Amino acid sequence: MDQDFAPTNPEDALLLAADAARAMLESGGETYRAEETAVAVAAALDGAEAECYATPTGVTISFFGLDGHVHSIVRRIKRRAMHLERVALIDALARSLAAGERGYAAAAAELDRIERLPGHSVAAGAAAAAAGAGFFALLFGGAWNDALVAAATGALVTSFTPAMARKRVPDFFTNLLAGAAATLLCLGARSLGLATSSDATVIGVLMLLVPGITVTNAIRDTIAGDLVAGVARGADAFMSAAAISAGAGAAYQLWRLLGGAMG
Amino acid sequence: MRLLDPLWAGLATAGFGAMFNLRSRDLPLAAAGGALGWAVAAPLQAATGSQAIAYCVVSIAIGAWSELVAAFRKRPASVYIACGIIPLVPGGGMYYTMLAYVRGDNWNGLSTGLGTLLAAGAIAAGLAISGAVSRLILSAGGGSRLSR
Repeated sequence: MDQDFAPTNPEDALLLAADAARAMLESGGETYRAEETAVAVAAALDGAEAECYATPTGVTISFFGLDGHVHSIVRRIKRRAMHLERVALIDALARSLAAGERGYAAAAAELDRIERLPGHSVAAGAAAAAAGAGFFALLFGGAWNDALVAAATGALVTSFTPAMARKRVPDFFTNLLAGAAATLLCLGARSLGLATSSDATVIGVLMLLVPGITVTNAIRDTIAGDLVAGVARGADAFMSAAAISAGAGAAYQLWRLLGGAMG
Repeated sequence: MRLLDPLWAGLATAGFGAMFNLRSRDLPLAAAGGALGWAVAAPLQAATGSQAIAYCVVSIAIGAWSELVAAFRKRPASVYIACGIIPLVPGGGMYYTMLAYVRGDNWNGLSTGLGTLLAAGAIAAGLAISGAVSRLILSAGGGSRLSR
């Protein structure tokens, strides 16, 4: 076989399969897709009986190598952030390997490139969050000024959450703080006369935070038969929702105690 | 439904797509999915009186649209699905649940919370149906071992 086409040893194939599956899960790919990716990569690189078991918090892969030994590896997943472009590229990479269009060296280089692919800049992220929050405020019956307040608050709140994740502040605490900050800022803007409907404004901003996609994916995983992954995602979603609600609820109570108007 | 609502839904979807690092030339397609979903969901909910039925049907439509776009663009459908369901995803329901509990209205909170969970279940069920159907069609055509 061509030198660049085959991996030099089974460990290389194993590492490539594990890294592909981990990158898939870290970027928000589905559980079954991460498992299929790992199996396809390992099988394409001469691993027999490849098996992968993935959950949102870790991947286990094993296969029977051509050297007659069983190889396996565990990868822990600690951070998860949606990066759909990575999901699409890793999926394409697994397909090209399975189809024999790409060899080990090319695939390893491509995965390395995908993992280095930058996410959006802070400014672009803030602009996207502003658009999401603003248009949701309009969709939930807000007026133009509500949308503008929601956009500004959304951009502000989502700009500081990645920094907190980098400083290893627990997600629960970040969500608690974000929920409280979003609610207080919107209620404050309303009392200053900047926003008309605090409901529409707060919902617009909270849409950026609430784990709606996670809840839906938890149920989708469970329907697909990935029961452990589904339950884990469900627990993740429940904790985020609880933290955001606690933060927003505390902010409302504080506002009421301080004599601010609700509504 | 107000006339411009699907437009706002589509633009909000585009904002979320950009947040999810969807490449910019896929944003219009994802936004179209979100707008389409909302344009069908609101009248359907008014006609059937059931959010769950409306969301399930609409999720089948979003799933089908995403599979179509995915086949055309040769990318996984889930990339477009993740954006397309954004307007349906029950963020508002979670907010009203929280608001009810904060106001001390536990019964209202409980029923809103259950409705929210039901809506999420309906979306997931709709996507499972469209995914299964497209898998059947693709496997009939002798597609790859990897599922879309």
